[in-house]
Amino acid sequence: MPLSPPDRVIPTLHRATAIALSACAIAYGYLVVNAPVDSEQGVVQKILYLHVPCAMAAYLGFLLTAIGGGLYLWKREERFDRFAASAAEVGAFFCALVLVTGPIWGKGTWGSWWSWDLRLTVTLLLFLVYLSYLLLRSFTEGGDRKARFAAIYGIAGLLVIPLNYFAIDLAGGRSIHPENLEGGSLGAGMALPFAAGILTAIVAFSHLLLGRIDIARLRAQLAERDAEREMRGGGDCA
Amino acid sequence: MNVFLAVLWKDLLIEWRSRDRLVAMGIFAVLVVIVLYFAAAPGLGSEARAPGLLWVAYLFASVLGLNRAFALELENEALSGLALAPADRGWIFLGKAAASLLLLLIVQAGAALVFALAFEVAIAPVALPFAAIAFLGALGLCAVGTLFAAIAVRTTFREVMLPLLLLPLSVPVILGSVRATNALLLDGSLPWAATRLLLVTDAVFLIVSFVSFEYVLDD
Repeated sequence: MPLSPPDRVIPTLHRATAIALSACAIAYGYLVVNAPVDSEQGVVQKILYLHVPCAMAAYLGFLLTAIGGGLYLWKREERFDRFAASAAEVGAFFCALVLVTGPIWGKGTWGSWWSWDLRLTVTLLLFLVYLSYLLLRSFTEGGDRKARFAAIYGIAGLLVIPLNYFAIDLAGGRSIHPENLEGGSLGAGMALPFAAGILTAIVAFSHLLLGRIDIARLRAQLAERDAEREMRGGGDCA
Repeated sequence: MNVFLAVLWKDLLIEWRSRDRLVAMGIFAVLVVIVLYFAAAPGLGSEARAPGLLWVAYLFASVLGLNRAFALELENEALSGLALAPADRGWIFLGKAAASLLLLLIVQAGAALVFALAFEVAIAPVALPFAAIAFLGALGLCAVGTLFAAIAVRTTFREVMLPLLLLPLSVPVILGSVRATNALLLDGSLPWAATRLLLVTDAVFLIVSFVSFEYVLDD
């Protein structure tokens, strides 16, 4: 199977993001270790530099899943489905990190592992939507059918995010999360490690996404080769 | 439009002849109300939780009915016949969703009666707005549920797939309906925020399902 130009560039980009990720991770680690300790929350506050960037990467993954699905429904090209599926897997991974780091931070600051807080609940629901998305893919047979069903669910899942937000707000799940981080709301010396966290999360997301897309492409190539071999074998028998 | 009426008529006629879906949904909803009544430990603030319990019963009954709506179409490749109909498939979706909605509304009425008796809740004074909220909630569930039932029925794990797909996305419908029902039963008011959420959710679900149903039957 000849590689399309975007497919050809993916392994190179994957290697490039590995180098960028190594550099970012070193700078990020250094900045977080040397970041000032919050006077009220103590050292547990440093989880902010992991928690929020992971949440951003998770939401980016779900946005890309819907975009990839929409492009598949429009163009019917397999590479868009591979892109959507990969974005969902990587997004779900980052969402899991958010759901692990959030309770650790919550226990340290609010005194409880879990609260039915607005953003926590929306993120948990989103995580469940994308686990269902991945289950749907594994329980559907046929390449095109699987891609179509997943694309529809991925788009519907993204559209429901704002509705879930309003619904949980309405049901009394008032946010005990800090307000959105605006310019200057972080303490002195915290902005740089926070920015480094976001950059590292985006680079890590890109690295994992590109790697996952490449694996999906290789799998598709292998399946096509197996099918061809089987057909040739069947032809010989006849 | 003719396709919509034809599909609606076909589904209702099948149901009229067998009555299996309606009976199963009805019995199931009543059973859920009874089980939840005992699970809610009456006297410990169960009045406040009652609307939520009623909507859990409605949700479970709708999953049961929606699963059956498309399981029927698998027999004798009827789904392929539907897909070959020379019309916009969105109308097929609307026909199937309307049939499921009518059945769910009947089940809701029966379950509400049992609920009123079990939880000693006076629904009669707010019957009209109660019915309106029940309709809006059922519309949202049937709109997105019909789309997902058409998907789930063609997976290898179809009994489990529909609830997995539907439940996380039905949260806005359930929370809006519960909030509105709660306010209705407490002080007879119809909160605009909950009603607006239901209206917006129903509109989003209807449009998404109408447009994307084309791709679901595209085999």
